[in-house]
Amino acid sequence: MASVARSSALLKQVAAKQSVAATGLRVAAFHTTSRKSLLPPLPQRIEGTVNDPVEVPPTSPSHGSYHWTFDRVVAAGLIPLTVAPFAAGSLNPTMDAILAATILIHSHTGFTNIVVDYVPSKRVPKARKLFTWGLNAATVLVGLALYEFETTDVGLTETIKRVWKA
Amino acid sequence: MIAQRAGTTALRRVAAAPSSVFKLAPLAMQTRTFQTDKLTPAEASALLAQQRLKRPVSPHLEIYDPKQTWFGGSAWQRITGASFSGALYASAVAYLAAPLVGWHLESASLVAAAAALPVAVKGGLKFLVAWPFVFHAINGVRHLAFDLGIGFTRATIIKTGWYFWGASIVGGLYLAFFM
Repeated sequence: MASVARSSALLKQVAAKQSVAATGLRVAAFHTTSRKSLLPPLPQRIEGTVNDPVEVPPTSPSHGSYHWTFDRVVAAGLIPLTVAPFAAGSLNPTMDAILAATILIHSHTGFTNIVVDYVPSKRVPKARKLFTWGLNAATVLVGLALYEFETTDVGLTETIKRVWKA
Repeated sequence: MIAQRAGTTALRRVAAAPSSVFKLAPLAMQTRTFQTDKLTPAEASALLAQQRLKRPVSPHLEIYDPKQTWFGGSAWQRITGASFSGALYASAVAYLAAPLVGWHLESASLVAAAAALPVAVKGGLKFLVAWPFVFHAINGVRHLAFDLGIGFTRATIIKTGWYFWGASIVGGLYLAFFM
């Protein structure tokens, strides 16, 4: 009878599902194209349920658009400061110190952007903390070194000029 | 007639009784063969997470235009900026550590060391320093213009990107060999 024929296919499916379930593999595999492992998806983590809306990040005066604007203001301020030594030949110590300090701040914010982009705190929280505080410590050290260099030596622009023309 | 009834009764009895001979008995009785599993929400999420890892990944790096991925302005802006700042940080820390380790990193020693290099090496090293500097500087101005919304269309970005690459090489050569 036709119903018997259909039912036998159903029975085979039942047997198959039971054997798959018995081995513990319950996830279906896709094989439509060859799998290339270029940047495979990261370990997936579902926080809450799949029906929860995306969380709005908390507002912060120091981590929001003011931060971005500060970055751009420092970068824009570096333009005349960098053109000046080329135009004037050399800089007096005060201007040199201002240039060095602005370069330091620019480097620090640039490195912070790199750390924020490539070390996400949700995935590697300890590494993120390590890099952030390491960067802060390095910036303080470099600030100290630049202070020493400006006061006991000839200064940044003068050194570069002398080495360049050596 | 009695024989017919006996036949149907026998069939019914066979269908009702579980037997090893007639294996399709459960189906003749319309029993359910699939079962639903009870999963806690946590188990369901874990299953979803596992399944997501098995989904096919659309090709990205292998199909995208390498002129845009490998020569993009913002990537090289970051690379040149990070190498310059990294060199600054490294030399500053070395300058602080020099008296403790016995090196001489004052400006006079640096000038003397630079003067002792052969001309070709001097020119090459100066170009290696000058090109990233010029690139970062003029590309920085370009990015500040982008931040103001100027020239921020895809065609303009791609075209001006190539002009700035050329300009930075020319500027680097000028600074290295004519300054």
